[in-house]
Amino acid sequence: MTEVKTILVVDDSKVSRMMIRAFILDKHPDWIIEDAATGEIALEKIRTIIPDLISVDVNMPGMGGLAAAEQLRAECPQAYISLLTANIQESTRRKAQELNVGFLEKPITKQRIEQMISILENN
Amino acid sequence: MFQLIEIQHDALVEVFNVGVGRAAAALSSMVNEEIILSVPDVYFLSIQDATTALNGGREAPKVCGVSQRFAGAFNTNVTLMFPEDKSLELVRLMVGESIPLEQLTEMEHEALSEIGNILLNSCMGTMADILNSEMHGSLPEYQVGTPEEILGISGNNISDLVLILRINFILEKLKLQGYVAFVMDAAAMEDICRHINDYLASFAHND
Amino acid sequence: MLKITQELLIGMLSTINIGIVLLDSECRVVLINDWVINHLETPEKITNGVCFYTVFPKMSQGRIHEAIKMAIHHNLSSTLSPSLNKSPLPLFSSPLDRKKGIRMQQAIQIIPIQLEDAPRYCLLQITDVTLSIHREKLLRNQALLLREQSYFDALTGVANRRRFNEYAEDEFRRARRTVSPFSLLMIDVDHFKLYNDYYGHLEGDHCLKQVAMTLARTIKRPADLLTRYGGEEFAVILPDTNREGSYTVADGMLNEIRNLKIEHIKSLTSPYVTVSIGAATTVPKKNELVTDLIKIADRALYYAKGTGRNKIVFATEEGTIFS
Repeated sequence: MTEVKTILVVDDSKVSRMMIRAFILDKHPDWIIEDAATGEIALEKIRTIIPDLISVDVNMPGMGGLAAAEQLRAECPQAYISLLTANIQESTRRKAQELNVGFLEKPITKQRIEQMISILENN
Repeated sequence: MFQLIEIQHDALVEVFNVGVGRAAAALSSMVNEEIILSVPDVYFLSIQDATTALNGGREAPKVCGVSQRFAGAFNTNVTLMFPEDKSLELVRLMVGESIPLEQLTEMEHEALSEIGNILLNSCMGTMADILNSEMHGSLPEYQVGTPEEILGISGNNISDLVLILRINFILEKLKLQGYVAFVMDAAAMEDICRHINDYLASFAHND
Repeated sequence: MLKITQELLIGMLSTINIGIVLLDSECRVVLINDWVINHLETPEKITNGVCFYTVFPKMSQGRIHEAIKMAIHHNLSSTLSPSLNKSPLPLFSSPLDRKKGIRMQQAIQIIPIQLEDAPRYCLLQITDVTLSIHREKLLRNQALLLREQSYFDALTGVANRRRFNEYAEDEFRRARRTVSPFSLLMIDVDHFKLYNDYYGHLEGDHCLKQVAMTLARTIKRPADLLTRYGGEEFAVILPDTNREGSYTVADGMLNEIRNLKIEHIKSLTSPYVTVSIGAATTVPKKNELVTDLIKIADRALYYAKGTGRNKIVFATEEGTIFS
């Protein structure tokens, strides 16, 4: 039984946030899930919570996912960060590497979310 | 007027964003350039209102349209539209040859057909994946005309509804805004809604 | 009722002038017609049931692979245009092309075939469009050539550089013969690159058109000629015109352009579009060439650019410059 983890889900799609929450809680009902609809809100939230994992949708209005991930990486050096995107191009991979974040392909499925959180389970 | 509730609307926007995202990845690997596609908004309009919206405030703008018919989980005639001058600029960038606009030819029209084909198939394929809605899609047809002409062709009824996606396309310094119009009848609307509801139900049980 | 037998269908497939490849849902080759076999690098029979990607290993990644997946998994049809997909399959139009290693230009369509209660099949249809593309290139080159041979600049509608070269020679020679004054104005739009960068190329083109039209309006005499000399440069030939006369024309042009008040935020000279004009006049002597005068006018233009722009500068062959 792993300890309780805190996950921050950043995605402008309410349905996506619901899905990710549902899939994670399915496996770990005791974990804490916070969400944010934009990068700006996410940066606000991390002032009061310390997430173990942050999932960031790339395609968001406002600052967008990449800029958000960059700042989140700076503010939360201990967190695992995963970019979520349907558009996996060479430039995306490179940017993810530069920012030292992982990426996950959309559409969101149970398997993919379980793969994303597996990094927390192995510790 | 037909309206989806917020959560259904959200699901549809997300499906299309994933669809065009995948199309962007496919197009990007063809030209080795970064391509960004997104669907900022989605809405339902009557054919009349759709024509007005697609005109984008102009009198009778010339657009390049790529259309495909889909049948199966629901039936619809889908058309991707971009302003004519921007479309040809897009093709020029993707084909990679510096040909003056007036000299674009049949071959380049085929290129635009393929770009539309990739985009539309990606949307429908993603819809099929996420919403479990299998459909057969025809080969693309290319037309140049006003949105009214393009929607009017292919025997659409006045009572039909149009689902419109606004699309943003970025390739190098070129930014274009286009539309994808799904013309469907009441039965198709119901079918889509049912698929969306089933999808939402599939993971909502945890709440 | 005329019967369609299997033999007839197979005969048809081996005669048609289109490539047909039929795959099953596991991407195994069910059928590949003679047209494809005959246009391969080494025409040899392909075993029924072999995997498509074994025959064409390079196709396992890329557009064809994605399209086959779309057909088999999603029942969706795809088209591959020759301009976006340069000869993906190793096919050759003729033995000569094969020897030269020049692949056939291909238009490919990938379509699912869904029969009742059967797993999906995938049809690849290949058309040789090499000739069509070749014909189009020829037509295009001819159109370009025709355009170059004309005397008009396509964008602005004024005479082009080619016309300038011919007319300048002719009129200069006549001026030498009749011992009359020949004047030249070299006009350049100030900070045009900045204009293009800021407002975009379409606006830049529009600006040039307006400038050309305005300059054309100030040309009164039939013997005078306004031409587009370069990207943002115009040249005016004024036969039978002395320095004073050329100054009148140039001054008129300068002011007309200023009066257009075309906004140019990025100009370092004025809030509006302006031009610099280099002028030169001569009564041509025996060994004098028109190219000499062009050089002098150019020098004057250069000087105008270097001393603030939005002005006229005169130069003579002795080197005197005044504005």
